[in-house]
Amino acid sequence: MSFLQQALAIAGKDLRSEIRSKETVNASLSFALVILMLFSFAFDPGSDQVREISGGLLWLVYAFAGTLILNRSFARELVNDCLDALISSPASGAQLFFGKCLANYLLLMVVECVSFPVFIIFYNARWPARWGLLFLVMLLGTWGITVIGTLFSAMTVNLRLRELMLPTLVYPMLIPALLGAIRLSTVLIAGEALETDDQIWFKLLAGFDVIFTVLSLALVEIVLVG
Amino acid sequence: MRLKIILALSVLSGLILSWNLHTMFLKVPDELNQGAIFRIIYFHVPSAITSFAGFFLAMFCSVGYLIKKDLRFDSVAASITEVSFAFTTITLITGSIWGRIIWGIWWTWDYRLTSFFICWLLYVGYLMLRRAIDDPTTRARLCAVLSIFACVDVVIVWKSIEWFRTQHPGPVLSIRSGGGMAPGMEAPIWWNFLALVMLATVLVLIRMRQEAMQREIDTMRRYAHAF
Amino acid sequence: MDQNYTFMFYGFLVAWLVVIIYVISIALRERKLRAELDRVKRMVDDREHEPKR
Repeated sequence: MSFLQQALAIAGKDLRSEIRSKETVNASLSFALVILMLFSFAFDPGSDQVREISGGLLWLVYAFAGTLILNRSFARELVNDCLDALISSPASGAQLFFGKCLANYLLLMVVECVSFPVFIIFYNARWPARWGLLFLVMLLGTWGITVIGTLFSAMTVNLRLRELMLPTLVYPMLIPALLGAIRLSTVLIAGEALETDDQIWFKLLAGFDVIFTVLSLALVEIVLVG
Repeated sequence: MRLKIILALSVLSGLILSWNLHTMFLKVPDELNQGAIFRIIYFHVPSAITSFAGFFLAMFCSVGYLIKKDLRFDSVAASITEVSFAFTTITLITGSIWGRIIWGIWWTWDYRLTSFFICWLLYVGYLMLRRAIDDPTTRARLCAVLSIFACVDVVIVWKSIEWFRTQHPGPVLSIRSGGGMAPGMEAPIWWNFLALVMLATVLVLIRMRQEAMQREIDTMRRYAHAF
Repeated sequence: MDQNYTFMFYGFLVAWLVVIIYVISIALRERKLRAELDRVKRMVDDREHEPKR
């Protein structure tokens, strides 16, 4: 089987399991809604201030809700030694990792696409005119979160303090991607024009995704197997 | 032999630092705009360079471990990371105190301080991961991968935060005043840097010895349980 | 200017304090490791000289 076929098989397995149980997506979505509500207490929704922080708010929600999905990603395989079975299967570590990335990516995109309209409603924002570009930012930013999060999920899966270690390790790593996504989202949601300065953030996001995808695919075998 | 190196380096480092203190306080005049607080630069900049270099050195050692599978590489990486962590803390706190005088605020999200804070957080993550794993080989393997990721991330973080903060102009803590320093004032920085590097080396060597002791303990314990 | 000197003093103090605290923590760890090493060596000796059952 080719690399992609193996990866898609694993992604399919994860997605099928998730569609049947719906445990992770439900938890993640509820968490996202709770955070949106909590932030509404901190900031006065509908004011001009919110327009300035809209991007930041959105991506904080995505990052926090995403951690739930990413944590479960490898943790779900611990039961009945499924992880050992997967590692000893003909699929290489990179294929296993990429498959899980794809599954997590789709789940996280679902959560984001559902919470974005809720954000618009709660914070009285207008639907962005250039929603296509905003969707592109979401695609790029989410891939960055997924790749780093899935690799560190693999790294911390066998630790006692798994739930504690994953956020501690992942969030500092994600800062460049979150920066770019926040900056671009704020500009696009406010309906302003993208200056030439802002295009550097697209390059940063794309570069971040490429660099860390390659690095992760190269090192994941060492993390999983040794 | 190693003990002699450690002793020699400590003494040399102590001498240079003492001589520098003399230079800093008696020979170098107060800086025009900043006054006496300017002298903090003599610790702030060398610590910053040392702590930043730590990331890259640790990454090389981690790559070395992954290639050679020799636990000594892991000890070096861990020791360097720990010592660099101490120096990053010094950089952050001295930078904050300097900012308090110049800007009147303890903290500002200036790009250098922010980037260093992220470096500090990455170091904390590495040290936490080391504590969380008991098995030495697994610990070495996972920490090596984390070290490589952290180093690549540091480069990206540094550049991206610089762009972010220059887009939103805020207070920029510029150590250099007026685009350069008088020649007499610059020399103590480099002497202090030499002294701090020697001090860092001494600390790393001591830590490496402790890691070797820990490995010996692990081996003996395994041997004891074999009976 | 007076305030400048006070803060400069604090700055230097903090820098040295961090180094000293770190050195002390290293020294404490050294002591703990030596004790552990001695304990394990004794355990190995005891097990080696135990009469074979």
